[in-house]
Formats: sequence, C-alpha cells, structure tokens
Amino acid sequence: MAEKMCVVVSEGSFDKAMMPLILGTTAASMGMEVHVFYTFFGLKLLKQGNKPKLPGMMRLFTGMIRKKMAKNKIPLPEEMMKTALDLGVNFYACSTSMTIMGITEADLVKGVKVLGASAFLNLAADAKVNLFIG
Amino acid sequence: MNKDATLDAKGQMCPMPIVMLAKKAKEMKTGQVLELLADDIGAKEDVPAWCSRTGNKLVGIEQDGSVFKFYIMMK
Repeated sequence: MAEKMCVVVSEGSFDKAMMPLILGTTAASMGMEVHVFYTFFGLKLLKQGNKPKLPGMMRLFTGMIRKKMAKNKIPLPEEMMKTALDLGVNFYACSTSMTIMGITEADLVKGVKVLGASAFLNLAADAKVNLFIG
Repeated sequence: MNKDATLDAKGQMCPMPIVMLAKKAKEMKTGQVLELLADDIGAKEDVPAWCSRTGNKLVGIEQDGSVFKFYIMMK
C-alpha cells in the first residue's frame, strides 16, 4: 500500500496556498497518497475562482510576487491546483468550516470532497507524514 | 552515458522537475535510462530522494555549468 501524507491547512493566504500544493504535487510524484484538509480560513482556497493574496499589508504585493513567479516559471496556485488534481491529490473541505465561512458545495473547486474531522483523522492515523499549515 | 530518452527540465523550479520526472517515468519501460536535465539547485538533493523513494535507480550524475544531468534507470 502506498505511504500516506496528510496536511491540514487553516489559513487562506497566498503563501499558505502554495505550500500544500508544492508538497502535495511532490509527494504524489513520489508515489505517495496525499490528503489535504482545508479548515477555517484555509477553506477559501478551495473556492472556485479564488485568487489568494499575501497576508496582511503584504497583500498589496501579491501582483508583484505572481509576476516574479511567472517569470521564473514557478506555477501559480491555480495552475498547481490543477496539476495536483491530475496527480490524484485529494482535497477536502471541512464541513463545519463550510457552515462558519458560508461556503456551499457548489462554491468548491470541482473534485473537492467534503469531510468531517473523524473521517480526516481516520486517514491521518495511518499517515507517515502529517503536517499542519496555518 | 547511454540513455533511452531525455527530459529537459531546465528553467523549471521545484516542484516541477520532480512532477515532470514522475510523469515521464510512467511512459518508460523497465531497464530504460532517462536523462534528466535540471538547473534548479534543489534538484541535486531532490532527484536522488525521488529515486530512493520510488525505487528507480540513479546510475549517474554529471554537472555541466549550472545544469545537472541525472541518469535514472527505470524499475
């Protein structure tokens, strides 16, 4: 059975968008089974058409960092998300957070599943790598 | 070094060389050697790590200026 990696993401800023996508696509490329669970503000990252910004006042420089990344051929979050889904990375929305954040299933990127804490912990309990990004 | 295919990942930053490598590896047959070209500094450690995790054999590394050439025998 493939080794598992589970990641929890609790913030919705640009940097917090990139980290699980970089680790997720890499782990999937290394033959690992990947599960990424988005909770609280992280949930925004699963909304269709969402363009995350850098945190706090740095948000003003989001355009600059996107340009710099594009120039250096570093994939942007929306492209990375597509690659991750193609590689079979599993993305989950926390059902309770959806209610708190006012996000419905129809708002989510296609391919995202909805889970509760118990289902996620069931996956995490068997994972060799468990990370929290928040 | 003998090779059956070349994958050019020059100019690509982490994680793309590894993502491209995994995709290419799926197209190749057991025993074939893939030459991977990469100039991401991290690739020097990342490619051997990918090989040891996935069970593909790293049979050689060469460096040409800023470009690393990895030779990987497919499992």
